[in-house]
Amino acid sequence: MRHAVTASSAITIENLTKRFPAPGAGDDFVVLHDVSLAVDEGKFVSIVGPSGCGKSTLLNVIAGIETYDGGSVTIHPTAGRADAEPRIGYVFQSPRLLNWLTVESNIHFVLEAQKVPRSRWRQLVAKNLDMVGLAGQERNYPLKLSGGMQQRVAIARALAMEPDILLMDEPFSHLDAITARKMRFDLMEILQRAKPTILFVTHDLAEAVFLSDNIYMMSTRPARIFKRVTIDVPRPRTPEDSTILDLEKTLVREFFSVVEAKG
Amino acid sequence: MVSRLKAVGLRIGSIVVLLLLWGAASALIHDPQVLPGPWAIARTIVADFKTPGPEGESAYFDVGITLARIFVTFSASMIAGIGIGLAMGLNRLCERSLLALIPLMLTMPTILMVFLAIMWFGFSEAGGLVAVMAVVTPLVTVNMYEGTKAMDKSLIQMAVTFRASPYLLVRKVYLPQLLPYIFSAFRYAFGQTWKIVALAETFGLKFGIGYMFFFWFQQFEMTQVLAWIIMFVVLMLVLEHGVFARLESRAFAWRVSVAH
Repeated sequence: MRHAVTASSAITIENLTKRFPAPGAGDDFVVLHDVSLAVDEGKFVSIVGPSGCGKSTLLNVIAGIETYDGGSVTIHPTAGRADAEPRIGYVFQSPRLLNWLTVESNIHFVLEAQKVPRSRWRQLVAKNLDMVGLAGQERNYPLKLSGGMQQRVAIARALAMEPDILLMDEPFSHLDAITARKMRFDLMEILQRAKPTILFVTHDLAEAVFLSDNIYMMSTRPARIFKRVTIDVPRPRTPEDSTILDLEKTLVREFFSVVEAKG
Repeated sequence: MVSRLKAVGLRIGSIVVLLLLWGAASALIHDPQVLPGPWAIARTIVADFKTPGPEGESAYFDVGITLARIFVTFSASMIAGIGIGLAMGLNRLCERSLLALIPLMLTMPTILMVFLAIMWFGFSEAGGLVAVMAVVTPLVTVNMYEGTKAMDKSLIQMAVTFRASPYLLVRKVYLPQLLPYIFSAFRYAFGQTWKIVALAETFGLKFGIGYMFFFWFQQFEMTQVLAWIIMFVVLMLVLEHGVFARLESRAFAWRVSVAH
């Protein structure tokens, strides 16, 4: 089971606000309005919202590559390494691999960036490529792999740094439906072994319900969180499980009643 | 493999045909002061390397001097151009202040630059260096600048997200994306450099292939003039296709591997 024994918090966000300055003299564009959320250690938490609602911006703020205008973002290091800076892994929408480097060197890139001792590289590469089902592809170049396999490399790259928190920004949205479905199953299996805390952004409610322990639903204009849902379905799950399908139906109805009311 | 052999065969064949036509034409004209045959030129080239020329030095000396001049001026222009181009691509202040100067430098006709440099610096090595740098550096700069503009921003963001140090970022993200631009600048700049060095040697500098060419031109010695021209062309062909092409195919192995 992935449910963490301790319920200590991994990410706490309180009243986060972010604006983009408007071109000219107009009012600033509010990307994130009074967003609060808590992600418990070892949990899989999704943020679901329509495109352009600021989900990716929220991830970038958490990753520390974008600033914010109000509120607070706290990231708690995993228990046991409380003195260290929390390590944040990131899986983007597209693989964003360095095509001139082999699969192995792409993982080395992140290990070097994170200052992981060189003596551990070989073991980390082997373990994580095996985990995403790409054992033996170390010396291959990304452009020789399919889109799904490239995204697997991106997942292995993020896991190899042994992140406290793994941020995933619609990682399966660029894949065809069949590959995406397979990837979701495999991600579930991978996470049984790797167990990081995950914050997963998607616009696909079915995907969120299948994968998550908790879901935050976001609306646009203003971009804010309007509902938190707990998915108490035991794992391993199947997408066709009747509890999951029912939950999905209810949430879809609610989601559109809120989002369309604003439309 | 077969098509490769065929391509090499065709290349060698076309050169052989050209030599045969040249030989036939020279036999028909039958005047070594107008068109000496390939065999006579080959004998002259060998003799130039074996015996001291009019300045007391053999062809080794002149070829060496020309190569040294090309190497020094080319390296200086590449380094300056890459540096300025990168600065322009990565720094807004450099970009704004230098962008207007580039077209100005690029419009300057090469031959005028050579004469100008000779007037300023006299018949010295510095004149050659300035002439080459004034023409070649802007070419390299423009290439590098465009290279930095064409870099994939999403990969830079990826590297920043994973906390890559500036050193790692330059080495593994910037450089590989700039390499195609550096190589195309390299080839173009090299072609320009040897043409300017030949010009400068012809009109101003002492020693070197261009100087010897001009010496024999003044004596109206057609066999020697052609011999020095051919020495120059062969030398540059060997450098461009033998050395650079090999370096390039090695640097882009990751791309070639995709084509299989």
